[in-house]
Amino acid sequence: MKIRYLRWSLLTVVVGALTWMALGNGERSFEAYCPFGGIESLYGLFREGQFTCALGPLNLSMLVAILVLTLLAKKAFCSWVCPIGFLGELLSKIGIKIVPGKFQISESVNRWFKLLRYISLAAVLFFTYRTGELILRGYDPFYAIFSGMGHGTLGNVTILVMSLIAIGSLVIPMFFCRYLCPLGAALDPFSKLGLIKICRNEETCIECGECQTACPHGLAPQDTIFLRDSDCTNCLECVEACPEEETLNLKLKL
Amino acid sequence: MNISKYIIPVLVLSTMFGGYFLRHAFTQPTTSAIFESSQSGGNLEDNLTLTCKVQGVKCKGTANFFTKLYTDIAGISTLETVASDHKAVFTYNPKVISPDDIRAIMEKPIRLNNGSTKQIFTCLEMK
Repeated sequence: MKIRYLRWSLLTVVVGALTWMALGNGERSFEAYCPFGGIESLYGLFREGQFTCALGPLNLSMLVAILVLTLLAKKAFCSWVCPIGFLGELLSKIGIKIVPGKFQISESVNRWFKLLRYISLAAVLFFTYRTGELILRGYDPFYAIFSGMGHGTLGNVTILVMSLIAIGSLVIPMFFCRYLCPLGAALDPFSKLGLIKICRNEETCIECGECQTACPHGLAPQDTIFLRDSDCTNCLECVEACPEEETLNLKLKL
Repeated sequence: MNISKYIIPVLVLSTMFGGYFLRHAFTQPTTSAIFESSQSGGNLEDNLTLTCKVQGVKCKGTANFFTKLYTDIAGISTLETVASDHKAVFTYNPKVISPDDIRAIMEKPIRLNNGSTKQIFTCLEMK
């Protein structure tokens, strides 16, 4: 079975379950499952012993689960569970078909742009910790999409932000995940330590570059032995794209 | 030694379900917001207590927001909003403000960021 079909099946179940909850079913809100809510709760919990508005124990336990997962398998959450990563991936696949030509972004610009997600993380935490409320959630794609634009209460600025993210995702693969996702920024140091990594066999590799083409984040497994990049989500697209048997594999490596 | 690629979905599912069942380890503390007025009208001995069950008070943020609605209202001496019980306990001077006035303040529609107005709080019970 192709691993992508397994991954997309799991993501479809996640999106379906969240949509079901967003329609008012189940005992909890869809927001209760967001691990980033755990990060947003931390300051309030340590300082006042209280959860931030709309957040609860499940956000914190999901955060702990994701930290464990990231220390084991890098950012596997992003490619196997996160609905926003899934939508970003689908948009980038559509983008490849409808956007004429291939938009290339240089490595140095890419590196600078990635700093935006740390600014995004700092801004979200600053305003959340200062106000004790999820004051920026109107600009969070997860909330905006699954709440149906905040049950119709979100304004034109949110529509503009969501449109820009959607257009960005059509042009640059995984635009939101690469440059804006605050959870991705928070997971970066843990992902660097992730034990299970993609490993390239130098002897059998023909350096065709298929792995880099397949990687949604544009990483280059052919340039390294162990892929240590914190952006690797272990989606295994590179492993499936590799034309040589037993060239790209998963290995345990500190 | 190579690891099977199916280890990733196995780890993902195990940690996600583990996280779900771990939620009981993090109990939700009681959340409340307290306001004490420095300018309540009349004598303190005239004050009465009013407890309202309020729909819409569900967390620290909404408790704070609810409490702020009464910070400049004459006749309200103290207000404790307890989010975990969805209730607000007022100490008020009945010569200055009535329970119906208190109820009207919380049920007044509030202007949202997109320009529309919406009733956020509803008093379900008063005693």
